[in-house]
Amino acid sequence: MDFLHKSPAIVALALCGVLATGVSAVNSAHAAEEKPAAAQNAQPVTDCFESRIGYSSVTRVENADPKYGYPNVKCSQTTGAVLWWGDPFDGTIPMGEMPDISDSTRGDFDHAVVKPREPQLQYFNMGPNGCETCHNGKMVPFPKDSKPRLIGMHQDIVENSLKLMHGRGALWCLNCHSATHRNHLIDRQGNEISFNQPQKLCGGCHGENYIDWRAGVHGKRIGSWATGGKKRWWVCTECHNPHTVQKARFNQLKPESPPPLPRGMKNADYERAGDAKH
Amino acid sequence: MSEEKNEKMQDADEVVQGRRDFLKHVCTSSAAALVAATTPSEAVDNASNPDADVTVAEFFQGHFLLMSEEEKLQAIARLEKRYSAQYSKKTTVSNAPAPDGVLFGYALDISKCIGCRRCVHACVKENNQSRNDPEVQWIQVMKMPKGNIAFTADQLDKGYPEKSEFGDYGVQVGGNAYKTAGLSTEDAQNYYNDELVPDKDFFYMPVQCQQCEKPPCVKACPVRATFRDHAGVVLIDYNWCIGCRMCQLACPYHARRFNWGEPHLPAEEMNPKTHYFGNRPRMRGVMEKCTFCAQRTREGRNPACQEVCPVGARKFGNLLDPDSDVRRVLATKRVFRFKEEAGTYPKFFYYIG
Repeated sequence: MDFLHKSPAIVALALCGVLATGVSAVNSAHAAEEKPAAAQNAQPVTDCFESRIGYSSVTRVENADPKYGYPNVKCSQTTGAVLWWGDPFDGTIPMGEMPDISDSTRGDFDHAVVKPREPQLQYFNMGPNGCETCHNGKMVPFPKDSKPRLIGMHQDIVENSLKLMHGRGALWCLNCHSATHRNHLIDRQGNEISFNQPQKLCGGCHGENYIDWRAGVHGKRIGSWATGGKKRWWVCTECHNPHTVQKARFNQLKPESPPPLPRGMKNADYERAGDAKH
Repeated sequence: MSEEKNEKMQDADEVVQGRRDFLKHVCTSSAAALVAATTPSEAVDNASNPDADVTVAEFFQGHFLLMSEEEKLQAIARLEKRYSAQYSKKTTVSNAPAPDGVLFGYALDISKCIGCRRCVHACVKENNQSRNDPEVQWIQVMKMPKGNIAFTADQLDKGYPEKSEFGDYGVQVGGNAYKTAGLSTEDAQNYYNDELVPDKDFFYMPVQCQQCEKPPCVKACPVRATFRDHAGVVLIDYNWCIGCRMCQLACPYHARRFNWGEPHLPAEEMNPKTHYFGNRPRMRGVMEKCTFCAQRTREGRNPACQEVCPVGARKFGNLLDPDSDVRRVLATKRVFRFKEEAGTYPKFFYYIG
């Protein structure tokens, strides 16, 4: 007691020290707890892509479905790929007229919708008239024939126009792109085809895959599982790059993160032991 | 005398009556107190406190399939209120029945699968699994070396029965014994973390609940908390599950996951559209697994893993409908079932497209 009376300042300091250490201890404990939570609360990825980077991009919109507070898409934190659709028909248009093939696998196109390809094409969206902003016959004259020749433009799409990675030398740009109406594709019968319906063009040569696609065996459809239900169909160019398809049908991509290791396991090297054998 | 007797008898009657009344009163009031404690309204009020997680009423609820319609609605209301408070967002718990005339089936093209694991994470986004500590995933993607067939024709007659000091047991050793014939999961890599997929000389095989026609997990469950619905999907009543993990042992596909700890599901990542047998948030100590997204497929939409697959390797549909994607695959492609020898008759098919 004497001590207290004599030096209250020292006691106050000591008390403060105890308090301070106590508080900091609590804080550090909290910090340790909240660390994983903070990682979880990272901002959702807004610039996403469907199936492939650069093929079709989507921007995340919060509260697109107010009933459940759903965003339109949920994307991966590691790769930016769309992992989940709030509404599978978001941003789609009707697929349009499809030719009737009278075999057992005739497609079920009554409620078919697709995402339009035209808004996703870089050069298509450079001017008000699409590709014809430049390819109008004046600025860029119409080509006289479809003989392969070296082209300086669009080398980001086709590196070497004399070595088109499609058709093994039998095809060239103007076999698929209309020479006079550059906003359209053109098939072997001379029918003009919208960029939104590449399946009509591709199906001309790749009949086996086309029939499988119409039957729902090849390619991807989301939405209703029921026959006759509303479905969003993926068209050819949403997965395959027609200009490089000969190199790889489906280019390699970055995978999502692996599952967590079981508690106490440092790594999964034991799994890779088998690599040497093969 | 007779009057006296009458009075006495009246007294006795009154006494008896009184005792009866008293007992009756005591009994009813205590019963009432017990009932009061278990009425949904009061129990749910407790639920706004996240600590009072499983309410008394929820604890006493029966198997969902054996409930009356009224009890089912009460149970659903209880859960909706509890989840809405716990995750601070309006949560719906559906009770939609499985569609009639439908047998759900799944087909997966292992020649197309590139092992990108998007299905794994789409499933997590949809089905409200615990996100960290523990991180629960229902789909496992196995990276398998191509051509691991060690079984050779010249070794066919080199095997012989094992001899031991206890006698000849007839177990074959030598020759092709202990060599893989065809595909084996022995060399599979589940934790691969490559820069780019698909890796050369490997193929990928995602495994999830195979929705067996003869599910060993259903046979093993001692309380019938897991069962097969009439659309062929094996489901779990999470509230009826006792957490004994017998089903996990019985499953040949490693498809079931157990909530060892309290699941950690951040509120902003929680999917508020749930189904009682599907993706409603689970509690500690219960089993969970793929339900073919009951909350989606019962309303006609495809499962989340089917929708996300970037190569279209996954096909879902009605096995009873000859025009469905799955039936078309079964009719035109080379199809196999995983661990067919287990006699489980999965409705999950792998095919080579």
